[in-house]
Amino acid sequence: MGKAYNTVAFKPQFCDGCGDCMWACAQAKAGSDDPADSRIQVVAAADGGYELALCRQCGDPRCVAVCPAGALAKDQDSGLIAWDGERCVDCLLCTMGCSFGGIALGGVAGRVVKCDLCGGDPQCVKACSSGALRYITTSRIYNEVGNLEDLFAPGLGGCQGCNTELLMRHSLRRVGPDTVLATPPGCVPGMGSVGYNGQAGTKVPVFHPLLSNTSAMLAGVRRFYKRKGRDVTAMALAGDGGTADVGFQSLSGAAERGEEVLFICIDNEGYMNTGMQRSGCTPYGAWTSTTPVGDERKGKTQDAKNLPLLMVMHNCRYVATASTAFMEDLYAKLDKAIAASQRGFAYLHVYSPCTTGWRFPAHHNIEVARKAVESNFVMLWEFDPESGLRITRPLDNPLPVSEYLKGMGKYRHLDQDQIEHIQDKVNENAELLASLSRGRTRLFPGSS
Amino acid sequence: MAAIMPEPGSKVIVCDGNEAAAWGAALSRPDMVAVYPITPQSSLAEKISQFIADGIIDAELMDVEGEHSVLSVLQGACLAGARTYTASCGQGLAFMFEPYWRTPALRLPIVMSIVTRDGISPQCVWGGQQDAMTVRETGWIHMYCETVQEVLDTVVMAYKIAEHHDVMLPVSVCHDGNYLSFGSVRAELPHQTEVDDFLGEKNVNWHVALDPDRPMAVDPLTGGASGPGPSLFVRYRKGLCEGMQNALRVITEVHEEWSRRFGRYHAPLVESYRMDDAGYAVMTIGSMSGAGKDAVDAARERGEKVGLVKVKTFRPFPAQAVADALARVTAVGVVDRSVSFGWNSGPLCQETRCALYSSPRHISVASFIGGLAGADITVKHFDRVIRDTAERARGAPISGPAWLNESD
Repeated sequence: MGKAYNTVAFKPQFCDGCGDCMWACAQAKAGSDDPADSRIQVVAAADGGYELALCRQCGDPRCVAVCPAGALAKDQDSGLIAWDGERCVDCLLCTMGCSFGGIALGGVAGRVVKCDLCGGDPQCVKACSSGALRYITTSRIYNEVGNLEDLFAPGLGGCQGCNTELLMRHSLRRVGPDTVLATPPGCVPGMGSVGYNGQAGTKVPVFHPLLSNTSAMLAGVRRFYKRKGRDVTAMALAGDGGTADVGFQSLSGAAERGEEVLFICIDNEGYMNTGMQRSGCTPYGAWTSTTPVGDERKGKTQDAKNLPLLMVMHNCRYVATASTAFMEDLYAKLDKAIAASQRGFAYLHVYSPCTTGWRFPAHHNIEVARKAVESNFVMLWEFDPESGLRITRPLDNPLPVSEYLKGMGKYRHLDQDQIEHIQDKVNENAELLASLSRGRTRLFPGSS
Repeated sequence: MAAIMPEPGSKVIVCDGNEAAAWGAALSRPDMVAVYPITPQSSLAEKISQFIADGIIDAELMDVEGEHSVLSVLQGACLAGARTYTASCGQGLAFMFEPYWRTPALRLPIVMSIVTRDGISPQCVWGGQQDAMTVRETGWIHMYCETVQEVLDTVVMAYKIAEHHDVMLPVSVCHDGNYLSFGSVRAELPHQTEVDDFLGEKNVNWHVALDPDRPMAVDPLTGGASGPGPSLFVRYRKGLCEGMQNALRVITEVHEEWSRRFGRYHAPLVESYRMDDAGYAVMTIGSMSGAGKDAVDAARERGEKVGLVKVKTFRPFPAQAVADALARVTAVGVVDRSVSFGWNSGPLCQETRCALYSSPRHISVASFIGGLAGADITVKHFDRVIRDTAERARGAPISGPAWLNESD
């Protein structure tokens, strides 16, 4: 296990672009009032918000790797990537090596500068009044969740390498004990979340709805408690079958009525708990036990439905996609979804690869999830009626989808035509979402 | 003869069976009402929605997207502690079947009205009891009403029966589509405080709840071939059967208490009409009973020794009460408003045959099926039932069912 170091973390949603951090850095490091002298740079982002150019003090730093002079080195005790001006030969290769704009030409002609964390007391963080900058341990986000009570019982029985247990435990920790939890038939109760033969699987009230009525039952629970003046979160942890297929009518109705429900769909692209049958969320070409591979047919012949986008058109207060490979993105969205579920329907669609059903080695799970996002096969975005749709992890150069597909047995049979079909759909979806996020296609009056 | 003057504190209204059911629900002060319209229930759903809009009922109105969700929201609310009401019928009940089947096993005291309707196909929108009869084996208590007044009174009584600690089961109060749903008559509306006093404090989720203050796993996976599963599953099933049997006693007690408090007695399980010296009998269920009684009166005037037995409670089946009511007859003609496809008879007929099996002597039981898909069962039809049953009483053999509207 690597050591967790402190670093300057940036929450763009809190940044108002005031520039105080740059002023403080310029003062501290150059005695100047010119933001150009700052080693931290807040710049306008394509989506109208702000981005940060600052050294991340990477664990495996490219700047260090490309430096021909040994002028850059990562200190294993502090985590700091230190620059040695005496060794530096001013070749600037490091500036091209860094993806974050974290090392650049500075005020002194021809020389690079970078953040040195001010000896553990970064002035930029002190100057930030909006909460956008924090000086924290890189694993703090996990520590924060870890410090909350785990409300599932120990010993849930998921398949080896399954990310869903992680997702379940962390989600419920975040939501807290004043919750009624619905887990319709699928992997989530299959792991024992409701319990067996009279023994409970959680410390909160939990139940099996029918596969088909999760949203309706939760709506009844929430409405009654609200009527009684009690603040109880009505939360679902449902599979994609119980959400997109047989559960869709009650989901659609509850969302349309604005029922105050936190609905988390854990999408593993089929009925994995019952033997890997296809669902409406199973992608084109995928092998499942009901879309088998034979001489006449090779996997599913239809595309998956875009369920989260369908939910955008359902009067939801919040809709987002997330991935178990990008947990900080997921946590930020979970917080928003929890808040939104106090005002209306909140829908979170989390992609969670299935080691058993997708046919890949258990230790590749996070890698599979990551490549899905990096190839745009899965896109991470969020929507609320006031702000419209925003892609939370836009990609300049997505991987070809074949890079994602090749890691899994469920796609092993694909021929070139099928792969091209999938790539076309990925491109089409990326264009649609980009268009929606830029406001070219207005979803609602007032959305930008 | 019903009293002309209402009980003190009550009020006389003119309404149909659907409105009567809505009034019965209103008087029972539900916390949540869920509605989805379907003929011939729609005016009930509309009326109760209006009651909530007008503030006559202080309840959450869940106007949801289908009958499946109707019962599902009520299950959630009931588990959170709500008294609940809905109504449906026909295809709506068929669509509701999945949560309907589950409600008794969760022991949720939900009350609903079934405005009985025949089942498609053939496509039809009219009355018939095929819908309720089709879901008779789900563990719900089923009571069939004869009059509009009985609809109103029984909906209120249903809460007291459902929420009784020895029962804790859902109740469907059935009233005939078209004939009761749309027939307007005089009805007495009991005073709210009297009903409040009758029903007492509600506590619908003392035994099973979704409540963060009392966290529990509701309905964990139960059963299997080993471990505690088999015996645990039997305990739940057996408990439900015991609750159903307890309901026979509780239904009787509640009807008697209703009579004492409100001055109206409705036979709780079976009603015996002119049965004292009857040699043979006609058996009915629901609104047809009025025409049946008129026909019996006319036959009595002709000197026929015929009586009538009406079944109100069909689930649990009051086997002993039926056997006792028919103990002295030699033949009974059972008129069903629905079909038992497996037995080529009516369901009530088949269950009556079962109930009489332990009788010390043979009683001939004949099946008559009438009133399907909105057809009327008139005194004339009952004249035929009486005539045929009299022949059975004299020893004529029984063939298949007689279809009363076959030549109409």
